[in-house]
Amino acid sequence: MNVETDKVKSFIIKYNHKKSALIGILQEIQAEYNYLPKKALIFVSRELNIPLIDIIGVATFYSAFSLEPKGDHIIKVCLGTACHVRGGPKILDEFQKKLGIEPGHTTKDMQFSLDTVACLGCCAIGPVVVVDNDYHAQTSIRKVDSIINKHKKKENKNEKHK
Amino acid sequence: MKNTNKIKSTSELKKIIKKQKERSKSDDKTKLIVSAGTCGQARGSMEVIDSLNKTIKKEKLEDTVQVKVTGCHGFCEAEPNIILQPHDIFYQHVQPEDAEAIIKETAVNNKILDRLLFTDPASGEKPKSEENISFYKKQKRLVLGDNVKIEPTEINDYLSIGGYGSLAKVLDTFSPEDVIEIVKSSQIRGRGGAGFPTGVKWGFTRKAKGDDKYIICNADEGDPGAYMDRSLMEGNPHRVLEGMIIGAYAIGAHEGYIYIREEYPLALNNIKLAINEAKKRGLIGKNILGSGFDLEINISKGAGAFVCGEETALIASIEGKVGEPRQRPPFPAVEGLFRKPTNINNVETWANISLIIDKGPEWYSQIGTKKSKGTKIFSLVGKINNTGLVEVPMGITLREIIFDIGGGIPGGKKFKAVQTGGPSGGCLPAEKLDLPIDYESLTQAGSIMGSGGMIVMDENTCMVDIAKYFLNFLRDESCGKCLSCREGVQRMWEIVNKITEGKGEEGDIELLEELAQAVKDASLCGLGQTAANPVLSTLRYFREEYEEHIRKKKCPALVCKEIVSAPCQYTCPIDQEASVYIALTARGEFKKAVDIIRKENPLPTVLGRVCHHPCESNCRAGEIGEPIAIRSIKRFLTDWAIENDYKPSSETKPHKKDYKVAVIGAGPAGLTAGYYLNQKGVQVTIFESLPVPGGMLAVGIPEHRLPKDKLDFDIQNILNSGITLKTNTALGKDFSIQDLFDKGFNAVYIATGAHKPMKMGIQGENKQGVYQGVKILRLANLGEELPLGEKVGIVGGGNAAIDSARVAVRDKNTKKVYILYRRTRKEMPAYEDEIESALEEGIDIQYLVLPKKVLSKNGKVTGVECIKMKLGDLDESGRRRPIPIEGSEFTIELDTLISAISEQPDTSYLTPDDNIKTTKWDSLIVDENTFSTDQKGVFAGGDAVTGPSTVVEAMSMGKKAAQSIFHYLEGKTYSPEYKISRPSMYVEPVELTEEEIEEAKRPEMPKLSVKKRHKNFKEVDLGFNEETVIKEARRCLRCELETEDGKKAIGGEND
Repeated sequence: MNVETDKVKSFIIKYNHKKSALIGILQEIQAEYNYLPKKALIFVSRELNIPLIDIIGVATFYSAFSLEPKGDHIIKVCLGTACHVRGGPKILDEFQKKLGIEPGHTTKDMQFSLDTVACLGCCAIGPVVVVDNDYHAQTSIRKVDSIINKHKKKENKNEKHK
Repeated sequence: MKNTNKIKSTSELKKIIKKQKERSKSDDKTKLIVSAGTCGQARGSMEVIDSLNKTIKKEKLEDTVQVKVTGCHGFCEAEPNIILQPHDIFYQHVQPEDAEAIIKETAVNNKILDRLLFTDPASGEKPKSEENISFYKKQKRLVLGDNVKIEPTEINDYLSIGGYGSLAKVLDTFSPEDVIEIVKSSQIRGRGGAGFPTGVKWGFTRKAKGDDKYIICNADEGDPGAYMDRSLMEGNPHRVLEGMIIGAYAIGAHEGYIYIREEYPLALNNIKLAINEAKKRGLIGKNILGSGFDLEINISKGAGAFVCGEETALIASIEGKVGEPRQRPPFPAVEGLFRKPTNINNVETWANISLIIDKGPEWYSQIGTKKSKGTKIFSLVGKINNTGLVEVPMGITLREIIFDIGGGIPGGKKFKAVQTGGPSGGCLPAEKLDLPIDYESLTQAGSIMGSGGMIVMDENTCMVDIAKYFLNFLRDESCGKCLSCREGVQRMWEIVNKITEGKGEEGDIELLEELAQAVKDASLCGLGQTAANPVLSTLRYFREEYEEHIRKKKCPALVCKEIVSAPCQYTCPIDQEASVYIALTARGEFKKAVDIIRKENPLPTVLGRVCHHPCESNCRAGEIGEPIAIRSIKRFLTDWAIENDYKPSSETKPHKKDYKVAVIGAGPAGLTAGYYLNQKGVQVTIFESLPVPGGMLAVGIPEHRLPKDKLDFDIQNILNSGITLKTNTALGKDFSIQDLFDKGFNAVYIATGAHKPMKMGIQGENKQGVYQGVKILRLANLGEELPLGEKVGIVGGGNAAIDSARVAVRDKNTKKVYILYRRTRKEMPAYEDEIESALEEGIDIQYLVLPKKVLSKNGKVTGVECIKMKLGDLDESGRRRPIPIEGSEFTIELDTLISAISEQPDTSYLTPDDNIKTTKWDSLIVDENTFSTDQKGVFAGGDAVTGPSTVVEAMSMGKKAAQSIFHYLEGKTYSPEYKISRPSMYVEPVELTEEEIEEAKRPEMPKLSVKKRHKNFKEVDLGFNEETVIKEARRCLRCELETEDGKKAIGGEND
């Protein structure tokens, strides 16, 4: 992926070049590229005058950041306590089986990344799965296929439009 | 027109508030208030809103009906829900297609739509308005209640309920010190977890040296299972801001931060909007309301680190650093954000402030307990009927929250524990249900208040697994700074994980306790100091569950998958490898499937018909649809074996040893014990008092359920292997136990069953025409004439009662058959499909009826006087206790009354010389591991020991007794061996097409038509055909392949 330094620069300007805004800037980069490209981090390091090692430290400490490119769709399976007692782990198992990847990884075709999340705060409607910003309430292993297909289909439709 | 000008003074603000109040009062539009928090939206509230708006437009009702999009109403279970005002109606689970009816019928014509009302799970009532719903009744919604009244994106809505009035009051009348005094005297304590007095904290920061001070709102609601802060920020963000502004004024801070989790996009959006709006109106910024007080509020977005809920880690994170906690002191009040004095409070604390200012500290401190004031919001989630956010006064009991507000546990399951306080908290058991909740009581009980997560767990939750869950969470979230936490939690997880895999050893629990103490003592921050709590609290209340995992390799909740493997096999008392024979059936390999069944089961044709099938009750397919029809698959296979003349080897076992064992009773326990002893080369003689072998199978279960030829097939196979059977030979009458030893038997196994009926204990029980169910069933099974009249009543609700009724209905004399049962159908212990068949056959089951007196004329039964019952509280068995309704007596005319309540063992054959002890219910007392009585060489099992139980339980006891008796014969001590459950082979799974998965459902058992059942004993269930059985077997989820062993055996699937 091509990292446009202009884009990254605009994030830094938005936060007034403040060192304390590092996390905010990284969040913008993550949102833009779905991961933190190495080039972008080097650029931020130079601009904010923060050693790259400290930036990597922050980037690897917080679970929101990824140093690897993510898929087009990010599937987050909630493993909060309420989702856990209602069968969240079984849902995760099923996604692993169906996608053939472990959590934290991305399918070879770069369509889906599978992640777990500690709690989405929608405990009443668990087990919850969020794909991008689409919440799926009270999921069961039976619904896993249709959740995957729903987002796959979307992809096809978009392509047709193109 | 919307007023967006800056408000320049408190008096102007007060005028605006007054104006907004009047506007809201004079607004007589019908309001459709839709709950649209994150949960509501996930359940489709935005589509509902869209549909409502379209309908309003279509019907041209814009001037009279209005949709209001609010935050969460708290009752998440009922999402999407709508409150209609001024009608005061609460509709739940509203779908877009309901919009038209809601608007046309309810909003315009005041007609209530019954189908959209909430049904109380306990009472079955359908209350119309919110305040009459049990979920809301016991709540005190001081903070959350406003969510319903306002659109969170509309500052004017907040003003219309008096919002920012407290800020005006503060700026007008109180000095910063006054405010701190007010907050102190309200005695409010921090809602984030630790419960530190808020006013005192504010005082520290105010007094701290320096001009630059900060306030922070901790909205990093990281405790899994807690989401009240999200709901407040989504539904009422200005209230949080108002609290912060007042706090900043009191403390002397001019800059504030809201540190919010990025997992909360809607809350983030609404709080951002609120800040912008408040800025525009001069409520935040320079010279607020002309008071000369300045405050800026910024947002800092978390990046997914639980430890950032800890205040020093949170501060580091706002500073753009790795979120590691640091040593305190200095406390943030002295040296916090950017090394300046900083006051941090949680969202809910800030949201309480305006209330305290408005109503006064005296009013506030009257709510709650001595040391914990005000209300607390809990998120009531997990295995609970009414999930949602509940706001209750401190001091309410757990029972009130879980059962009165929460409506109890779904599916009639038993309450097991409630987890409070998130990963730093603990699990409290049923014995703590009456605990009044406040900060101190929860800590004393081994948990904490925390931020208010309350996760309810039922009997299907494994407490060791829960401990593992939290340890896993914490080992991920530990920042890694302290070795004790980083390594200690990891090692604790490893030990607990090992236990859940069935690899636990003696000493593991003690090691866990030691580690827990070390982690607690040596960690810097709250995360590490409390990391052991989930383990310690589960060990405190559920130690025996750990011990069962370690010693017996059992997970009673069937959760730990390495221990359980396939629940069908795991729960089978005789270790039938159901998943294996199902897998073979799916491939059409019936012969192999039959072999697998016979390996562990000498009565398979019987069990394929009458087993109470715990395998099906626990089948994982049942969790997502319907369980696999395992019993019917077994029935097909065993019938297939008979039709195809595929018999087990009838080779007589050579008697390798000169051991002789006498088995007394040819029921399932005796036959099974005899069979397995014989397999070991022991000479077995079975003595049976009845003319036929089979025990209750032969004389207790009617032929329409278990045909004689099928029973005989199994029994003959057992006997053919070389067992001697002596019928019409009764212990106590024809021989004594001593006689057996005298005749050279080395050991005796007593399995005489439980055939003695229990009395009803009512007046007139000895009249002519009153019979015992067991007697009627025995006569019927032996083909004798039944002494029944035209109108027959059966008392009881178990299988014997249903069997008696179905036998009676088949008798040539009967015209009307009743069953009288004192509870409802839901509580009936008889099998559901049996009840269904009884109803089909025209049996009149009267529920909630208790016979009080047998009516008679000339010594003959003429009827029975009954009283009506109602269901009261739960009893020990978890069923609701039936209570008589005074004055509701009524009479049923009968000429025959059959009592089928229960049976007990008849041990009148025992003599004092036998030296065998019995319980007060006359059952034999044996050692629970060896099944040995107090008399050397005498063992016992089956119903004679347990009282009336199931066929397969009796067989299980017989099977285990055979092991123990053989050890005894060999002169060895016997102790049962515990292993994790594994199948003897792994069958390659069949591939299913997507369509097949979509369409797969449990087939119905074909039955003989009711007409064809008339007055005969033909078998009612007809069994599946080959096509059906293969289709059903293919539906199996193959749980045994999910274990590490299973994965290895099948190897590299999906890759």
